[in-house]
Amino acid sequence: MRRYLWGRAWQSALTLLLATVVVFIGVRALPGDPALALAGEDRSPEALVAIRQKYGLDQSVLVQFWTFLGNAVRGDLGTSIRTGQPVRDMLATALPVTVELSLIAIVIATLLGVGAGVVAAVRRGRPAEWVANAFALLGLSVPHFWLGLVAILYLSVATGLFPASGFVPLGDGVVDNLYHLVLPALILGTGLAAVIMRQTRSSMLDALSTDFVRTAEAKGLKPRVVVTRHALRNSLIVVVTIVGLQLGGLISGAVVTEQIFGLPGFGKLTIDAVFQRDYPVIQAVVLVTATSYIVINFVVDLLYSVIDPRVRVSGEAA
Amino acid sequence: MSRHPLPRRRTAPSPTAPSATSTSTDGPTAAPASGGRPRLALPLTALAAVTALALGACSAVTPTTGSGSGGSGTAGAAAGPGGDTFGEPVSADQVKQGGTLVMALSAEPDQLDPALSRSLYSRYVFHAMCQKLYDVDEKAQIVPQLATALPTTSSDGLTVTIPVREGVKFADGTAFDAAAVKASIDRELTLKTSARRSELGPITTVEAPDATKVVITLSKPFAPLVAALTDRAGMIVSPTQADKLGEDFATAPVCVGPFKFSKRVPQNSIELVKDPNYYDAKNVHLDAITYRIITDASIRAANLRSGDVQVADSLSAQDVPTLQQQSNLTVLSSQSLGYQGLTVNIGNVNGVGSPTGTIDRPEAKDAKVRQALELAIDRKGLVKVIFNDLATVACSPISPSTQFTSEAAQTCTEHDPAKAKALLQEAGVSTPVQIPMITSNNPDSLRLAQALQSMVKEGGFDLQIKPVEYATLLDQQDRGEFSLLQLGWSGRIDPDANITNFVGTGGSQNVAGYSSKTVDDLLAQAREEQDVAKRRDLYGKVVEQLHQDDPLIYLYRQRNLTGVSNTVKGVQVFPDGVIRVGASGLAK
Repeated sequence: MRRYLWGRAWQSALTLLLATVVVFIGVRALPGDPALALAGEDRSPEALVAIRQKYGLDQSVLVQFWTFLGNAVRGDLGTSIRTGQPVRDMLATALPVTVELSLIAIVIATLLGVGAGVVAAVRRGRPAEWVANAFALLGLSVPHFWLGLVAILYLSVATGLFPASGFVPLGDGVVDNLYHLVLPALILGTGLAAVIMRQTRSSMLDALSTDFVRTAEAKGLKPRVVVTRHALRNSLIVVVTIVGLQLGGLISGAVVTEQIFGLPGFGKLTIDAVFQRDYPVIQAVVLVTATSYIVINFVVDLLYSVIDPRVRVSGEAA
Repeated sequence: MSRHPLPRRRTAPSPTAPSATSTSTDGPTAAPASGGRPRLALPLTALAAVTALALGACSAVTPTTGSGSGGSGTAGAAAGPGGDTFGEPVSADQVKQGGTLVMALSAEPDQLDPALSRSLYSRYVFHAMCQKLYDVDEKAQIVPQLATALPTTSSDGLTVTIPVREGVKFADGTAFDAAAVKASIDRELTLKTSARRSELGPITTVEAPDATKVVITLSKPFAPLVAALTDRAGMIVSPTQADKLGEDFATAPVCVGPFKFSKRVPQNSIELVKDPNYYDAKNVHLDAITYRIITDASIRAANLRSGDVQVADSLSAQDVPTLQQQSNLTVLSSQSLGYQGLTVNIGNVNGVGSPTGTIDRPEAKDAKVRQALELAIDRKGLVKVIFNDLATVACSPISPSTQFTSEAAQTCTEHDPAKAKALLQEAGVSTPVQIPMITSNNPDSLRLAQALQSMVKEGGFDLQIKPVEYATLLDQQDRGEFSLLQLGWSGRIDPDANITNFVGTGGSQNVAGYSSKTVDDLLAQAREEQDVAKRRDLYGKVVEQLHQDDPLIYLYRQRNLTGVSNTVKGVQVFPDGVIRVGASGLAK
């Protein structure tokens, strides 16, 4: 097991290094010079030289890469070319926003999706199922940005129910924080809710036609108890898997949602950095994303073997 | 210092392609405003544009501007030159004391350090917390702010003396005096990454002989100096704080102003609170100002309508008609000092600033072809169709709202496609003349490009539109990798800052690779000339020569469109484009 762990750790480190190299070269291959983008009016040759010097852009890519790597290993991700702030601080403020947004979106999507899925399965062939299906189709096909704009127009501008945009950090008040996040999370969660609804519906239909449900009904249990305690419980296993699989999609959806609702999250940070050719921020974002993916994969692989003893990790004596 | 295509500030073209945010440098900023609406078919828009032109029809929208009558939203706002609505100052009995004003910013300000800042948006924030030696008023005239009077210049133009206020304190409680002014200007001249050095001109020394007098010595006379002191170069920072933080001053800036820096949440907001040390604190009504960054124009408009923000900058010309119908809002509209135009690559073969070369293209080789291109453009039609008349025709870099305007500076070439064709024939080129044009890839820039494309066809030109992403556009223009380019400039008070860099030989933004001894000589004279009337004549002559050579074809001047909720009073926009909320208050 220990050998396996070491092997995986080395593999992960190598993957991370490769990702960093690709991004490092990739952003520098893009047309557009960060010094130029930053210099603005004072585009005198001296100003450009000063900016390039300050951010080490005048050195060879190899030297830049080595410096970046050395600093990154020590936990220093550099300074943003655009804002002059330490990249680490920028990540520290942006990450919690996206994580919170995604978590709320998952909760909303699960509640909506499971609810609608159960209704659709139980009320099969009736108007309720038709309505639930229509919503699912809508949730899957309508793009986030459009839905976001419509929501702002009707739920913020016309009725004033929700703030049109903006973000209040959790530390400044939980209620205010949630109030600002509910609408974007709802929009972000629509796609996921639709997927969950469809999955719940089909699993429920399967479950409802099984012997144990028939047995439960025959025992004379109330329909509500049959549905929730017996059928739904057994259907949820698949739903949980789906939610897990959709997490990645949620993060990418967050990029668009954050932009519309002006949330200072990870997605917005990334987009801003790319447009400004803010190399240090782009590199850091990729590094963090790659690391989290690698860690998640690693943990999942380990968990499999824990959950299902039939899954053996290679390298271990059988 | 912003060159940019279309309206001044960049905003996200659409939520899916939110280009803007990031690129809020003062540099060429790409575009504008029409925010997040999904654009169905650009060709359709172009078609509509052509049809509208052909019919001589204009949009049914009432402009905010125009002979002072204005649209519905302008009622009660002070009208400036050209039907501008700058907003009105507030009197104490109109407002409540206290409260927080929330202003939506179309892009994130960069470093909040007057010496390093390069973005337009930081100027909005600075206005409330960093006062300057001089300010501009509604008529684009220079007025003292931390100085007590306009400077006196020695007869040889080499010594400029500025009297400064007494009894003023920085937000950190330290004293503001001539020595602080000297320290601040010295800092701007010596910081390695200073963005101010070139604006300040040929300064040799700055001295503070006593607490109320600053003496600046120049190696050559430099008329634009005072105008530079009305912007960031003239903002005086606390020497104590500057010494303590150095290049990190932006993390906790300290200046003299009605408000002081409180906190900044990156990408999200900047908060200022009332400064009790401010010398005129009794006339400050608000407790705090929050600037919220909302990059998408339509989302900004939505926030304004929902009441989440009270002020929003850079409205889209597309949103203005709807906003004007809101009874609880006012749209302030004022002409900017900048311009939007087309730059022809005449000789930029080795990158901007390098010696020019020869380009083997008809529009680069022959001024007649460029003149024909100008004749083929119907500026009035452009302004009407693309901007609902919320922009004005421009034929020169001299804004008609400044004291440097003259008849010569405002002469326009009338739209005449027949004459354009005749000129092309004279030049002996085969028509249609194909010219690739690079432009920013946001919806408004594309709309403009397509309208231009259909317009100049009649004059014998075939424009091929090459939309590129903004940072790439900057790169290509400086490298000289273009034939024709659509960009603009946000404008400065002094004409020198709007002309010399762009058309002077070797100018830092002379991406056309244009070089004319006549123009260079006139510009050098105007720079050293202290007499306004004489400078006016010199700039008129510059414009005449530019019309002959047409390295830059000026198209239109964008307007500063600012949305203000009626729940606040005293919000003003001045000709420098900076929205002033520091003196405002919540309505009673």
